[in-house]
Amino acid sequence: MKGERVLITGCGAVSAAGMNRSETLDVFARGQRNAGPVTLFETALPYPVFEVREIPRAFFLEGQRTLSLALIAADEALGEARLSKDLSSYRVGVCMGTTVASQLNDIEFYRSYRTHGSAPMTAAHRYVNGNIAEHLARAVKARGPSLTVVNACSSGTDAIGVALSWLRSGLCDIALAGGADEMNRIPLCGFGSLGIVNEGLCAPFDRDRQGLNLGEGAGVLVLETAASARRRGNAADLYLAGYGSESDAYHLTAPHPEGVGLRASINRALAESGIAPQDVSFVNAHGTGTIDNDVVEGKVLRDLFGADVTMLSTKGFTGHTLGAAGGLEAVFTAAGLQEGWIPASIGFSTLDEDIGLAPARKKTTITGRYALSTSLAFGGNNAALVVGRDGKA
Amino acid sequence: MNIYGMGVLFNRGRGIASYEAALRQGWQKPSEVEAPYGPGGTYPVYQVDLEQIPDRTILKKMRRSDKLSKMAVLAAHDAVDDCGIPDIRQKNVGIIVATGHGAHPTTFEFLDGILDFGEAAASPTVFSNSVHNAAASYIASVLDIHGPTLTVTQFLFSFQAALQLAKVWLEEERCDYVLVGSADLYGEVMGYIGNSMLTTADDGKIRPFHFKPSSHVPGEGSVFFLAGNGPSQSVYCSVADVSVGGDQGDGAPADLIILDADGMLPDETAYLASVSGDIPAASYTPLFGSMMTGSAFTCAAGALMLKNQVLYPNPVVDNPHDVRLLKEKTDAPARAIHCIRYNAHAERAVINLRGAP
Repeated sequence: MKGERVLITGCGAVSAAGMNRSETLDVFARGQRNAGPVTLFETALPYPVFEVREIPRAFFLEGQRTLSLALIAADEALGEARLSKDLSSYRVGVCMGTTVASQLNDIEFYRSYRTHGSAPMTAAHRYVNGNIAEHLARAVKARGPSLTVVNACSSGTDAIGVALSWLRSGLCDIALAGGADEMNRIPLCGFGSLGIVNEGLCAPFDRDRQGLNLGEGAGVLVLETAASARRRGNAADLYLAGYGSESDAYHLTAPHPEGVGLRASINRALAESGIAPQDVSFVNAHGTGTIDNDVVEGKVLRDLFGADVTMLSTKGFTGHTLGAAGGLEAVFTAAGLQEGWIPASIGFSTLDEDIGLAPARKKTTITGRYALSTSLAFGGNNAALVVGRDGKA
Repeated sequence: MNIYGMGVLFNRGRGIASYEAALRQGWQKPSEVEAPYGPGGTYPVYQVDLEQIPDRTILKKMRRSDKLSKMAVLAAHDAVDDCGIPDIRQKNVGIIVATGHGAHPTTFEFLDGILDFGEAAASPTVFSNSVHNAAASYIASVLDIHGPTLTVTQFLFSFQAALQLAKVWLEEERCDYVLVGSADLYGEVMGYIGNSMLTTADDGKIRPFHFKPSSHVPGEGSVFFLAGNGPSQSVYCSVADVSVGGDQGDGAPADLIILDADGMLPDETAYLASVSGDIPAASYTPLFGSMMTGSAFTCAAGALMLKNQVLYPNPVVDNPHDVRLLKEKTDAPARAIHCIRYNAHAERAVINLRGAP
């Protein structure tokens, strides 16, 4: 139904911080960091990563770890929304962000091709059957629009923004939206080649930050028009209030030094939500722990929200999960509003005077009605989501 | 949603005039590439030769980018230039790039770096360009467009999903205009996979109405549309509706049905459900080749025909199923064209184009 509020009726999250939202919140509260060496493939690279502990048998798909992660998070989100896994009686859209699952980057397949001029087609078949939105849509028998967003590190946030547009336009009544990505050797080498991976644990917004850690996971929201939720007798006090996305139009890998795209994205998301910066109770920042990202993002947040803004980065708990990050962080943002607290921005200890902004040093009580989640990406993409809570349900 | 400008880059050149010429002239044999491995020989590919682009102005701005990004920027630039809207770059313009496979040759080049030089010595420039949204990023920076910028992939329905989203963005006034289009390219490894999974037409001729067995000839290129909801003067056509999968659109009658049958499915008999004895059918895939986002070329053909009020005949008319084909150039007024694509699950996507009022 056009113009109607879009509710968040379900959330699901899987990452190194936990196999579901409840486990994750416990880990957040304890300030526990589940990082370690890479175990999923052989590598000589020395970087610690945030791997998901184990894929439960019910969700295991050989060679398609990203899809498995997406199914785990979707299953939790559907359960919370009190929806079955057969959604054929509803008009449901699926919009998912990813990076790894969109590319045929199987190094053993390619090694065989280079060496022998031929390779088993197993990897190719997995790839052509591995479109994440299509796979998830078929798994839940969704009949609405289906789209995989490949916008690098803002993919998950943008996917949620696309789903918001679909719901507002009437293309569907319910949408599964978020992001998923697995730990993979190619991005590990790629980010390593860029010199932005930390050999220790990441420290977002800290003066002495040394780069990011890679992670894996999936975060999925069930978004639903208020009319659809009413028809199902479902109530939810969380809603997706606004989305903004703007490009820096500046550089392939570096953010614009003034954060023009991020600033515009946040302003657009706030305007769509009909709120002012002072209405935002906290910001879940992209906060990768790289020099460039954190200084640009920090400056923009300080300019827009003031130096006292309550903010954090959850990447100290999950690592940078690339296409999953926006989905996971939307779930964490919603959880912060719903639970009334956010964790310490783990890894941060020393204020960076160039940023002039300190994220939460300890578990912090949240009392407001709105929160913001931001994403910055390769290619100069920037995206922002505003999550609202009306407190009536 | 109206289409104000178009840019096309394909194996037979750059620009609307090149594409119109191809529609007029019909099928031409594609180039041959040498099979790098296996028994040797050559196979046909509709390849874009960027060296033949006479105007180097844009290409000079993106020396470090790969071929996919270069093709996309050229087509996007031409669509913006073609629209004739004053101060278009000062408007809020969104970008949506649809791609089936992204910059796969660049991904494999990055893997070459890992295999040849080790994990710690692979090229950061190659990695950056291998990311799916690199092309969209170059479009934004070269054309100085700051609106929402999105890259999407849904294999055979990538372009339809992008066009559908462009329509939604305009309706909700997220943008004043949307630069929406496609980019896909040929690469040796994907060519090997295509040859392994599909049947290649050895003579280079896609026969769209054979349906089964189908045969493909890899193509590459980029098409962009500058779309908006403003006045309908000087437009190519309007996009009345885009339906993907379950929802089957407004059902309005058409003067021509264009099928995207291009051999990308081993069995394309599902297309038979979309043809009838009442409406002529055409397919222009033999002009540009088989690709996941070939539907953007089909949409461009439809838009051109509605603007020019000319229906171009099928470039290849092999017709074992006796489909009612458009065999002659037709100047009769055309008001509506349906562009139809099926995927591997026999699901249908339809783009309904209407002539300008």
